[in-house]
Amino acid sequence: MRHHGWLAIPVLAIVLVGCAPPGVLLRDRGFTRPADPVRVLIMPPDVELSELTAGGLLEPKADWTEQGRAHVAAALDRHLEGKNATVVRYPAPGGDPDPADLQLLKLHDEVGGSILRHKYLPVLELPTKRDVFDWTLGPEVGRLRERTGADYALFVFLRDSYASAGRVALIVGAALLGVGVPGGQQWGFASLVDLRTGDIVWFNRLVSPTGDLRKAEPAGDAVKSLLAELPL
Amino acid sequence: MRRLVWLLALVVVVAGCATPRGAPGAMADLQPGQRPPADSDEAGLWMQMDRVEERLRGSGRLLTDDAVRGYLREILCRLAPEHCADVRLYVVQTPHFNATMGPNGVMEVWTGLMLRADNEAQLAYVLGHELGHYLRRHSIQRWRDVRTKTNVVAVFSLLAAAAGHGYVGPLAQLAALGSILAFSRDNEREADEIGFELMARAGYDPREAAKIWEALDEERKAGDESAPPIFFSTHPPTDERIETLKALAARTWTAEREWTDGRERYRRVLRPLRQALLRDELRRRDFARTEKLLDRLLAAEAGSGELRFFQGELYRLRQKDGDEARAVEAYEQALAAGDAPPETNRALGLVWMRRGDRERARAAFHRYVTDAPAAEDRAMIDSYLEQLR
Repeated sequence: MRHHGWLAIPVLAIVLVGCAPPGVLLRDRGFTRPADPVRVLIMPPDVELSELTAGGLLEPKADWTEQGRAHVAAALDRHLEGKNATVVRYPAPGGDPDPADLQLLKLHDEVGGSILRHKYLPVLELPTKRDVFDWTLGPEVGRLRERTGADYALFVFLRDSYASAGRVALIVGAALLGVGVPGGQQWGFASLVDLRTGDIVWFNRLVSPTGDLRKAEPAGDAVKSLLAELPL
Repeated sequence: MRRLVWLLALVVVVAGCATPRGAPGAMADLQPGQRPPADSDEAGLWMQMDRVEERLRGSGRLLTDDAVRGYLREILCRLAPEHCADVRLYVVQTPHFNATMGPNGVMEVWTGLMLRADNEAQLAYVLGHELGHYLRRHSIQRWRDVRTKTNVVAVFSLLAAAAGHGYVGPLAQLAALGSILAFSRDNEREADEIGFELMARAGYDPREAAKIWEALDEERKAGDESAPPIFFSTHPPTDERIETLKALAARTWTAEREWTDGRERYRRVLRPLRQALLRDELRRRDFARTEKLLDRLLAAEAGSGELRFFQGELYRLRQKDGDEARAVEAYEQALAAGDAPPETNRALGLVWMRRGDRERARAAFHRYVTDAPAAEDRAMIDSYLEQLR
């Protein structure tokens, strides 16, 4: 019998710090700022906060995650309300998302992860995706449009970690020896999805060695930087 | 260098101090309805498992059959009545032998386990083992163990590097890994014991517990798979587990008490599912293992046409020397038994066609389309019949 493994190591996050940022990605056919306000559905943000142990493991933190999720959700609302958009909130606040919607959230995690790997890491570049950006979640997202009347949906994935006291001591000790040991990190990505087609029309990612989603103001800054060039 | 040896010894000792069961300082068992405080490391694990569970609920591989789920729940509640309200049980349709337990009470039972258990007592023992992990809070124990040991290694490697002995870092890592896995094996031994206690307390025949490992070990040997070396194993060697469970059964079982193995009821519940599970099993293409499994099932139910059909399928797909003849024999036994699925005639037709016996192939295909006139592959079979004319 096995347990579920807890030893997820943020390899991707660490690798991503060191790569050249292509910046925001836009759909090939081009996405132009709509003239009239559009209705944007904010999907429940996928947020998880953890503590980085001295040994380099990420320990998930329930209380921080709850704070972080609330701050991010509020910041997303605020940010979009200042745009040329009518905010549609995901139905059933606090309740469990519908199982079929959960599949879409899972799908976005996977597709977004693929975009990060294959568009932002030159070594993993795919020949067929080199000069194109045509990722899509598929027409199944139409169910969100039917139910909420929204034109677009915004999916957000964020991870944040903080060095424990032991990790900080280790970083200082290693620095004295001239060795660099990484600390906590904030990373994530966001997609704007056209609910008529499922196409990802806009994508951005965030990687930062600083920031704090546990507090309202820095959480707002993180959201602002992630959505800075959202074409709405 | 001497100092270094001491340092290394320290790592092994610190890393090796798992608290034995019942010893002072051991973690208290989980109480019914208990939730960890929100700011604790344990709450973090629960949160992650809640997320896994949320996603599991939307999985297409979940078995939704209410009869089976209700049956498993009933066994669970019989094993741990005071905790059964806290446990959510999910049946996952996958042909591998496994069950899992999360710290938050999410239990997965894989159908490969259900196909392999011979009776309710064996299944109850495995569910009890999983409950043991849950009640003893093994997830958080293991997490803390891994966290402590990786912390020690990080500090040790830094100190060793400062002393100019950076090359021992990997040795310390290996020592820690060994120690982490040893801790895991101890957890498994404890879960085996608890599983045994729970099943016996519920009145299941305690002699059944060791049998499920024996059956599994037989399959593994048939498949010529070697177990990983003990140093790298998360679980104790199967031989050891069998010996321990047999010794426990010898102490516990008495003729005066009435024990049940629930074999009849188990078969009745599993029967409507079995064909689907055997199809999944064949898709593994792990023929040696599946052959052993079918032999075992047939030993208990020699007259089953359904089992004979799958035996035939195994030979037809494996295509080793003599397998065609074996497949034909098995299909014919299946047809004689009377409860063979209609595809038996189609499969028989395919083998005869491959062997160039047009007449027998045609006869078998004819029987297939007569028995299943609306079959999905009707047009295909009609075209074979045309060719064989």
